[in-house]
Amino acid sequence: MSQHLSSQEISRWMIGERTPQQEQHVCQCSQCGAELDRLEAALALFRGSVRHWSGRQVHVPRPLAPTRRSRGYPARPLPMRWALVAAALLVLAAVPIYRNAQDRQHQAEIARADALLLEQVDAEVSRAVPRPMEPLAKLVSWDFTSTDERDQNRRDTTRNEEIR
Amino acid sequence: MATPGTMIAAVERCASEIDDLDTLVRLHWPRVFRFALASLRDPDAAGSVAQDCFLRAYRGRQRFRGECSTEAWLMRIAVNLIRDYARNRRLQFWKRAQTSAVDLDAVGQWVPDGGASPESGAMAKEQLAAVWNAAGGLSERQRTVFLLRFVEDMDLLEIAAATGMKEGTVKVHLFRALQAVRERIGRSQ
Repeated sequence: MSQHLSSQEISRWMIGERTPQQEQHVCQCSQCGAELDRLEAALALFRGSVRHWSGRQVHVPRPLAPTRRSRGYPARPLPMRWALVAAALLVLAAVPIYRNAQDRQHQAEIARADALLLEQVDAEVSRAVPRPMEPLAKLVSWDFTSTDERDQNRRDTTRNEEIR
Repeated sequence: MATPGTMIAAVERCASEIDDLDTLVRLHWPRVFRFALASLRDPDAAGSVAQDCFLRAYRGRQRFRGECSTEAWLMRIAVNLIRDYARNRRLQFWKRAQTSAVDLDAVGQWVPDGGASPESGAMAKEQLAAVWNAAGGLSERQRTVFLLRFVEDMDLLEIAAATGMKEGTVKVHLFRALQAVRERIGRSQ
């Protein structure tokens, strides 16, 4: 094959469609070789620029890719992770128990306070005289009978003495 | 030649890979994102598409029968999502594509030096810009197969699996895409 590759043949060559004669010609013809090299170089430049641009823009989402953790702190080893998970589960299980115990203690305190209050109320109700008046009650002898009753009592007492 | 045993093992390996979402994302996110970014030229949109892609893959993992590789399957989902995205936002997409000079400035800064002369460096930048512009002007299918072939290094069968096209159709689109790119490069010189 002595003819240079046509434009269409060059494009087909880039796709991978090439005959043995064309390959032999390209090996011998500097013009066709240079043309193919130039096209391949341009495409390689394009590939490189796309990859470079993409490399600057790309960031794998962190929640989906926990292994991209290399910013500040190293990835924890597996046993350490399990220990953390177990500790978290223990804390989660302990919270309701602790709250239950606290509630029961609180209820008991309320019951004790109620009982004390009732005792105080009973004591106040059972007094003959209100507490502030108790000193006066000690000084004065209270007689709750009426005047007629007192006269009758006095007469009864005198009669009894006369009989004796 | 693949035996039934190796095929079953391959399917089981793919299924377990898809079941583990963390591993799936870690292994394939960069590639899916890169393809979305090159197709849409918008980092935010590419991020959304990549996220949707993995979500759909995970939700639809029961339907994955291992007829292709995990990567090709993910790329197929990504191709569909990108197509839907571009169609739904056609106006904004093409407005952005027309004003992609900002993107070209950004990506044009990346040209490997390799001890080249200033002239050859400038020429490389021109060629790079020409390929970017040409890729932006391709039809949706041409751009998809072009990016899968020359950025993601996928072979024709993998591209066929990822796009749902026949191998011959992939070749046709790739041929037309290359013709357009070569024409653009030729004009830039």
